[in-house]
Amino acid sequence: MNKNDKKAHKFGMVIDLDKCTGCGSCMVSCMSENNVPFKEDESNKKDSITWMRVYKLTNGKSFPETEIVYLPRPCQHCGGKGDHGHSPCVSVCPATATDYGYDTGIVSQIYTRCFGCRYCMGACPYHARYFNWWDPKWPEGMEKYLSPDVSPRMRGVVEKCSFCYHRYQAAKDKAYYDGREDIEENEYQTACTTACPAGAIVFGDLYNPAHRVHEIVKPDPHPASINSTVVGKSRNPNVFRLLERLGTNPKVYYLSEREWVRKAGDNYLAGEWDKIKNHHGSESHG
Amino acid sequence: MDSALIPEGAKRCAFPKFALGIAIVGAVVLWGVYAMGLIWWKGLNQTNMNDNYGFALWIWADLAVIAVGGGAFFTGLLKYIFKVDELKNIINFAVIIGFICYSSALLILAIDIGQPLRGWFIFWHANVHSMLTEVAFCLSCYFAVLTIEFIPNILENRQANKVPFFHHLAHNMHGVMAVFAATGAFLSFFHQGSLGGVAGVMYGRPFAVREGLLIWPWTFFLFTWSAAAFGPCFTLLVTKITEAVTGKKLVKDNVVHLLAKISGWMITTYIIAKIIDTIYWATVTVPGLGLDIDHFYSNNAFYGYWILFTEIIICGVIPGLLLIMKSTRENPTLRLLAIILGVIGVCLNRWVMVLQIMAIPVMSFDTWALYIPSWQEVATTVLPVAYGIILIAVTYRYLPVFPQEKELNAVQPVTETE
Amino acid sequence: MKVDRRSFLGLGLGAVAGISVSPVILKLTDDSSIWTQNWPWTPVPVDGEVSYVSSVCSLCPGSCGISVRKIDDRPVKVEGLDEYPINDGGACLHGISILQYLYDPARIKTPLKKKGDKFEEISWDDAVSMVAKKLSDIRSAKTPEKLACIIDKDQGSVSGLFKRLMKSFGSTNLYTMPSFESYLELTAAALHGKGTTIGFDLENSDFVLSFGAGVIEGWGSPVSCFKANASRKERGAKLYQIEPRLSNTAANADKWVPIKPGTEADLALGMAAVILKKNLFDAAAAAKFKGGFNKLAATLQNDYSLSKTSEITGIKETDIEETATLFAKAKMPVAVFGKGRGDGSQSLKELIAVHSLNCLVGSINRKGGAFIQPVKNYLEFPEESMDDAAKEGIAKPKFGQYVHDLFEKVNVSSQPAVEALFVYQSNPCYALHDTKTIKQAFGKIPFVVSFSSFMDETAGEADIILPVHTFIERLEDIPSGAGLAKMVVGLSKPVVKPLFNTKHPGDILLLIAKALGGSIGKNFEWASYDKCLETVAGSIWKSLSKSGHAILAKGVPEAPPEVDMTFLAGNPASVQSNGDGDLMLIPIDNMRLPSSAPAAAPFSIKTVSDEVLKGKDTVVEINPKTAGSLKNYDYVTLTTPVGTAKVMINLNDGMMPGVIGMVKGLGHTFDNKYVSNKGVNINDLIGPVIEPGSGVDAAFGIKVKISRA
Ligand SMILES: Nc1nc2c(c(=O)[nH]1)N[C@H]1C(S)=C(S)[C@@H](COP(=O)(O)OP(=O)(O)OC[C@H]3O[C@@H](n4cnc5c(=O)[nH]c(N)nc54)[C@H](O)[C@@H]3O)O[C@H]1N2
Ligand SMILES: Nc1nc2c(c(=O)[nH]1)N[C@H]1C(S)=C(S)[C@@H](COP(=O)(O)OP(=O)(O)OC[C@H]3O[C@@H](n4cnc5c(=O)[nH]c(N)nc54)[C@H](O)[C@@H]3O)O[C@H]1N2
Ligand code: SF4
Ligand code: SF4
Ligand code: SF4
Ligand code: SF4
Ligand code: SF4
Ligand SMILES: [Mo]
Repeated sequence: MNKNDKKAHKFGMVIDLDKCTGCGSCMVSCMSENNVPFKEDESNKKDSITWMRVYKLTNGKSFPETEIVYLPRPCQHCGGKGDHGHSPCVSVCPATATDYGYDTGIVSQIYTRCFGCRYCMGACPYHARYFNWWDPKWPEGMEKYLSPDVSPRMRGVVEKCSFCYHRYQAAKDKAYYDGREDIEENEYQTACTTACPAGAIVFGDLYNPAHRVHEIVKPDPHPASINSTVVGKSRNPNVFRLLERLGTNPKVYYLSEREWVRKAGDNYLAGEWDKIKNHHGSESHG
Repeated sequence: MDSALIPEGAKRCAFPKFALGIAIVGAVVLWGVYAMGLIWWKGLNQTNMNDNYGFALWIWADLAVIAVGGGAFFTGLLKYIFKVDELKNIINFAVIIGFICYSSALLILAIDIGQPLRGWFIFWHANVHSMLTEVAFCLSCYFAVLTIEFIPNILENRQANKVPFFHHLAHNMHGVMAVFAATGAFLSFFHQGSLGGVAGVMYGRPFAVREGLLIWPWTFFLFTWSAAAFGPCFTLLVTKITEAVTGKKLVKDNVVHLLAKISGWMITTYIIAKIIDTIYWATVTVPGLGLDIDHFYSNNAFYGYWILFTEIIICGVIPGLLLIMKSTRENPTLRLLAIILGVIGVCLNRWVMVLQIMAIPVMSFDTWALYIPSWQEVATTVLPVAYGIILIAVTYRYLPVFPQEKELNAVQPVTETE
Repeated sequence: MKVDRRSFLGLGLGAVAGISVSPVILKLTDDSSIWTQNWPWTPVPVDGEVSYVSSVCSLCPGSCGISVRKIDDRPVKVEGLDEYPINDGGACLHGISILQYLYDPARIKTPLKKKGDKFEEISWDDAVSMVAKKLSDIRSAKTPEKLACIIDKDQGSVSGLFKRLMKSFGSTNLYTMPSFESYLELTAAALHGKGTTIGFDLENSDFVLSFGAGVIEGWGSPVSCFKANASRKERGAKLYQIEPRLSNTAANADKWVPIKPGTEADLALGMAAVILKKNLFDAAAAAKFKGGFNKLAATLQNDYSLSKTSEITGIKETDIEETATLFAKAKMPVAVFGKGRGDGSQSLKELIAVHSLNCLVGSINRKGGAFIQPVKNYLEFPEESMDDAAKEGIAKPKFGQYVHDLFEKVNVSSQPAVEALFVYQSNPCYALHDTKTIKQAFGKIPFVVSFSSFMDETAGEADIILPVHTFIERLEDIPSGAGLAKMVVGLSKPVVKPLFNTKHPGDILLLIAKALGGSIGKNFEWASYDKCLETVAGSIWKSLSKSGHAILAKGVPEAPPEVDMTFLAGNPASVQSNGDGDLMLIPIDNMRLPSSAPAAAPFSIKTVSDEVLKGKDTVVEINPKTAGSLKNYDYVTLTTPVGTAKVMINLNDGMMPGVIGMVKGLGHTFDNKYVSNKGVNINDLIGPVIEPGSGVDAAFGIKVKISRA
């Protein structure tokens, strides 16, 4: 397609949960950037479209030992088992309405092709996919603020975080126009990343050692020795992924110095965590 | 009034009585159609589904009717391929039940998808990796086969059969039916299996995921097996109901016993496989993902261990044993009990493999999601049942569905007693 | 041709077969799906030329720089402005939602006049002359003090014009809504002299001791605080959070010290006692304290021993001692005050007590500490010419110092104390305690003029509404404040042409003044507000117009100010809460819900947790121990001396037992289905508590009874 895109990328994110304040800017920036609609009652979080959703986690202890952490959850852009591109959702979509971009690692969603079977939603353990139960409606006049970069979705289709794919397209176009081979780290940043007042989100190319996301995550290119479907584990002991053991291979990583927070990222049998928690990140769990 | 259409020598109730019955059930159909219209017009917001519960009552109903409709392919397979000749006396009815089940399944799918007018994208933009693609292809093809299997029976209607072309067509179709039955069995094998695969491949959902053979998770085989095992139970159950409603014996006991026996052995072998699968899943698969089996069966009263026990022991082991043992199998009450338990068991299995999956949280900080269907969902789920009743009533009245009916009811009282 | 049954059947079948093999069905199938992809009721955004306009957000006192992406003349996205001295990229969720305010269905599109219970549209000419007529009458009656005015803030040219109008008119009854800035100035005035204010150098401090300040919950200049907080880890700085509830700030802090609500002042004094006792204070600084420091020190040792402080506050003695010691021993400690966002009611004793800790450890005008500087008056308005009526008017005393005094006065007077009230960009009928009495006062004022962009609770009480441009439709200078260490004036620009028949508030004042004529008219002889700003901004205009902002002060201020301990040395009493319930109801500031004007945007409401708002119900936080047999999401009735409300409960281990937390910012009643009629307004349940000695409304909560509903 473009000669300026010879190199394959693997775009990913690392979110510092110790910095995240739960302020919600990322959620709103995403909604505003991507023409996400809203309705009268959004308090039922199970039918409220939030491509970026900030979860509140607690350590389960009682007053005053209680702790809270906020965990922003965009689509994890799963690479699937072995990172071969068979994301849980992509592999199940019967109409190829969601697809894996091998050159970007981005899991796309094609609204006009989706026919709303919702199989992908069932397959996604992160609840990152949202169905348009209603026709999107804006109060009269407000549709003027809609951005032409992202099509508003019609009722009856599934939508989700796209890693702001249109921003990637724009960056590529600009690079092409300037006669450059590739885009710079700062040219493609997602709307949640740029909005975050705490600077908790770092976005970039996990393949590019010069990018901050790579520096923080230090992804292990080899499959994990205990579970060969897991690829790209972080070699930073404070970095983890959500439900890493399932082999979904998310490209969204989380960072926290707090042990209970890291533990909350996955499921562990009784006693399991204590055995592996102090191990170096990369081999910390199977 | 409509006596010219009624099979020769068969006794049927008076037309007004028939019409009244149809009208009553028809009202239920209309209710369902109204709900369906609402859903198509206003969208899936008419349901109580949500983003956690994207698969709900309908998909369960869909899987359940397909499972119980499995009697058609399995009976066909036995009759035409394995030449179990006695089954010719129930095959017509098995096909009609299958036809009802599969047409219902297709209708449910057309209601269930968010963009019904784009439903065909599943064929046009097919993703070969998706179990649902396989389901769609096999389901549609098999429905076509069922239609073909159904046609000769329709053409045997007294009036239709008078047309020489139809008469010969029906006759010749019977002759080549083995080919269709074989195709049907093959297709059915795959779509029953791929329906099982739908759950088994969801490796993001520890409750659903199974290891397997090549691209097929164990649920693939378990679904096919269970449909073959429990499908005949449903055929027998509907036959029994039809006999009760019409007050006539329609199928000879030896046929019933044979089908029950086959079903019994299928159930027993299936449930052994299912138990092995469950144990492997609970002791190897799930702990490997850091979860204890308790995780799936605690936290709320609804999804407790009782559901596992009911599915496997009460509605699996027990009917299996009841049907393989001659004494219990040939006891009408116990046989009926076994058949009913079997049908409940397979439906419960489909419920678990669709709805319980959606309810269970996977992320450690996520919560259980429970849901109660809206009336629109209930109405549209009842719709196929009502439609099935009408179709059975009409076919029973006007088509020679049961070859043994005349013989079994040869001594007719002078006046109608129905 | 004879059509018999057979041929009819044949024809029918033939037709079906024919249609099936023809492309008609395929075509229809395809067309129908294409139709679903182009449903005319799903909007299609128009494409166009992309451009970016930078401006300044004034939704809150944060004054962040913003960058607005436009497609042709349509703004489509708001983001934080990189390299802006306050926020340097990043914006809060409200700022990002600005376009939802622009297109808010509750916007007032044209001037309105109250008729019966409804409003009717009128022309600007009529509206202005009605206002001018009323004002002239007031002047003719020689009671200019009966014109009162409420504005949102004290600084900036629009406030300047309101003040100018009031002065030229002859009324001293101009009030600002309580704001963090006003508390900073009150605190600074008490300790360092009038006309000063306080800024906190959070980004350089290595130990932030926060007495309930919601450092990441909208306190101060929110985005700036988020950034300073986020850099803590890298800088090795600590944050200790003292408050009854595990707020987000407490959760993010290095240590959370739960405290009995309303005892913060006592804790600060107890800590001061520790610092004095252990000789950890800055002796050189303390030597210059005025106003009875020695007396204070003695009182502290007596009344605020560790055991006494511990008993009052409910905090362990060791925790008090350790925290005070860590604070005093830190290199660049700073104690911050102003519970929650800092704009709710606060006790001046508490603010002064906390700030005294800064004074005590020498953190005044030191890097990483608290900066005391004069309030910069950067605008050069020409001297007003005053006629006799004006001179007489301004010689009369003001009804009181604070806005609650104004309403008190109106409510107790049998004759109208106020003949006409201007309300600019504030919502007292929603945001002040005991809203019932505020609305009652509005009912007693014959002529209320609202300068609002939105039909909110207060605008709904007005007789005339003069709708103003939203801030992204207008030019305006936006001075920072809100406890920032730097002083920056930003320029808010008209990013988009005004959508409706609204006006710039400055231009409206120019029109009113002109209509009044005389010396008043002469005081407003600018051609337009824009021209006025250009003139009065004087020396900084160049910088404002060129770079979008001007920096008035940055870095550590040089001269250390005086420190006057008189207020505390007088041993003022602490504020007590009203009521006789056995639980304490306290307000919660939630970053995702603005507590004052304007109300939240639909996007912000959408992000609010279902543990805060569920359906149409407010969910209050309560410790499981306090809740007893009550379960999550059970309904309860809260009863306070001021009102009752039915709410749901959320069992929250982060809430101190015995305390109930209710979010601020819900329960709006105006007409906007996305934001209104959701939950209850906590100000309907809490009444003002006037602090002895300062006169401010210092209610920190109220005693409440709870019963299963
Ligand atoms: N958020 C969002 N997501 C979207 C869309 C959207 O609008 N928004 N649009 C969707 C649509 S319509 C599409 S088509 C897809 C596009 O998504 P992709 O198909 O992923 O498109 P490109 O990113 O252009 O990637 C094409 C790849 O092909 C490489 N390439 C170019 N020329 C050649 C060649 O000659 N040979 C080979 N082997 N490779 C080549 C390029 O370097 C690039 O890596 O995105 C979909 N996803
Ligand atoms: N710069 C750049 N240009 C590209 C590409 C790229 O990568 N970069 N990719 C190319 C490719 S592969 C493709 S497919 C095209 C896609 O190019 P387009 O089709 O132009 O892009 P979209 O943004 O997908 O949609 C176009 C418009 O359709 C509107 N729309 C959305 N839903 C509906 C609807 O239901 N009805 C109607 N009438 N309109 C609707 C959207 O709001 C949007 O304004 O772009 C091509 N051009
Ligand atoms: S914007 Fe940043 S700090 Fe705020 S919730 Fe999102 S990630 Fe957390
Ligand atoms: S997070 Fe969910 S939607 Fe996103 S790629 Fe993974 S499975 Fe798919
Ligand atoms: S809902 Fe849409 S994207 Fe998801 S699986 Fe079905 S067709 Fe694919
Ligand atoms: S990457 Fe873009 S689409 Fe995804 S959550 Fe962030 S803002 Fe939304
Ligand atoms: S913090 Fe205040 S000034 Fe900054 S963007 Fe948010 S609302 Fe606007
Ligand atoms: Mo495309």
